[in-house]
Amino acid sequence: MINEQLTNVFRGVFGDDTITLNDQTTADQIEGWDSMSHINLIIAIEIAFKIEFSNEEIRSFNNVGEMQKCIESKNQ
Amino acid sequence: MTNSDNLAYACLGRQIKNGLGDTSAFEWINNDLSKEEFSYNQIESNSNRIANILVNLGIIKGDRVSIFLPRSPELICSFFAILKSEAVACVLFSTFGESALLDRMNDNRTSLIITKKSLLKKILKIKDNLFNLRSILVIDIDEHLDSSILSLPKLLSNSPVDFKYAPRIEPDTPAFIQYTSGSTGKPKGAVHVHGAISSIKNSFIEVFQIKKDEIYWCTADPAWITGLVYGIMAPLATQTRQIQFAGNFNAEHWLKCLQEERVNVWYTAPTALRMLMQEEDEFFSRHDYTTLKRIYSVGEPLNPEVYRWAKRIFNCEVYDNFFQSETGSIMIANRPGIQVRPGSMGKPLYSINSVILDDEMNSANQGSQGKLCFKKGWPSMFITYMNKPELYAEKFSGNYYITGDLAVKDGDGYFWYVSRSDDVINTAGHLVGPFEVESALLEIEEIADVAVIGAPDAILHEKIVAYLCLKNSIEWSRALELKCRIKISNDISTTAIPQEYKIVSKIPKNRSGKILRRVLRAWYEGKDPGDLSTMEEQ
Repeated sequence: MINEQLTNVFRGVFGDDTITLNDQTTADQIEGWDSMSHINLIIAIEIAFKIEFSNEEIRSFNNVGEMQKCIESKNQ
Repeated sequence: MTNSDNLAYACLGRQIKNGLGDTSAFEWINNDLSKEEFSYNQIESNSNRIANILVNLGIIKGDRVSIFLPRSPELICSFFAILKSEAVACVLFSTFGESALLDRMNDNRTSLIITKKSLLKKILKIKDNLFNLRSILVIDIDEHLDSSILSLPKLLSNSPVDFKYAPRIEPDTPAFIQYTSGSTGKPKGAVHVHGAISSIKNSFIEVFQIKKDEIYWCTADPAWITGLVYGIMAPLATQTRQIQFAGNFNAEHWLKCLQEERVNVWYTAPTALRMLMQEEDEFFSRHDYTTLKRIYSVGEPLNPEVYRWAKRIFNCEVYDNFFQSETGSIMIANRPGIQVRPGSMGKPLYSINSVILDDEMNSANQGSQGKLCFKKGWPSMFITYMNKPELYAEKFSGNYYITGDLAVKDGDGYFWYVSRSDDVINTAGHLVGPFEVESALLEIEEIADVAVIGAPDAILHEKIVAYLCLKNSIEWSRALELKCRIKISNDISTTAIPQEYKIVSKIPKNRSGKILRRVLRAWYEGKDPGDLSTMEEQ
């Protein structure tokens, strides 16, 4: 399950309060999620969850579920 | 003046008249790589039905209609519908933010917008300030939201498939507007005409030299002049077999498109090639694209190392070329029949008179850097900037159009790009005006003053660098950087986000308050800023 905090990050970055996430959500399903806004998203997640992603991790996410798993592994 | 084909007739009606109605206009490939074939007849009837709706909503010749959609069959059909109704189309990037939309749609006095539900919220935020807007057509809602926000599917269900329009039209009739950025002020809308079709077709034939059974793919977004002219109009007008891919850059998807669609001729951008260069060679060996015969590239200079890499990896020739929103079609190109010189733009097209002029607008010496200019009068030349005739006039000197680019012509007639002659930033093929970015950043309460410049970048050609002067007691932080990035994304576009931020105590300006960008560029590159006598007192 995607937590509320991550959904709020997405809503803030993309300026859309209607965004809902699930593990299978990809960039194709969220308006404006391109390679440039992906960096915005990464910075916002790093600030919100007080973590840092490696370059390999940033490039490896295929969907929100993989992103969520990575965040959880860093917060353990 | 002899009439020309209406651009819609040249691309659709003429092919149908020639018996090609049931043949493929393009194969549409969705993000998930599912496919759908569209015939000329389908595009013709769908655009006819939308044209009927436009006319019923009061759109008349000369009205401006904006398309705010991601690349989609609906975008293509809407574009042709607008041309058929003799209104003027303006395709806007779906990544545009509210300020960018407001500036452009107020400048062109948009009467009607065609969009989709997920983008509608941006329009609703600015709707009350769009003074000429009468209707919004939404392609993916089933019911009208009110008397002005209308469901396109609902209207289509009662719209006839026939639409009568004059296939021949006065060539100087405005057809579409392409926005571009300048050093100062707001973006400028270059107005293009139906008579551009001869340049569009002839340049496509001369440069791409596509044979009957070859498959073509242009990766450019239709909101960019390349995507509109060479991604939609030119291939349709020349009965070229083509694919259209809905997605943005994705190395895996792109390679799959090349492989599975057996693409022969691929038109893309240096930034895309540089992004692909980041993949290991092993990634490419997993795909088979042996059908690929020619790659074309436009938007920024193609570095020799990228040229050599692409030629090695894809095992075919790579042809760079040059044109602008204002020129409407390719002016200078590498192409089959001319030996490619890596790093060069190539040679002018057959009908184009291209020169390098010095500061006094005299011919520059061979091999000397100067202003790249074209003798005016080619059919796809823009006819004005929307509401800015004085800026249009400034783009000409005597018989020559001044591109704003600096270049060199060598002894064999090849042209070599040097840089812009103004402050416009070319990032990933998008021209970004510093004023637009600075205006948005200045709205952030922590920022006291700002200036942006373009700096060399290994992937983007140029990246945007922002120099920020913060208000007293404000400290720079990642949170503030994020605020800047999101502000630019939401107001202008993700392509205009500064990639680097420098905090300074004062922005260098001259005594009349003009930002001294040359000083900032020198600071950035660690060079001597030169004469500072015009700089205001510290």
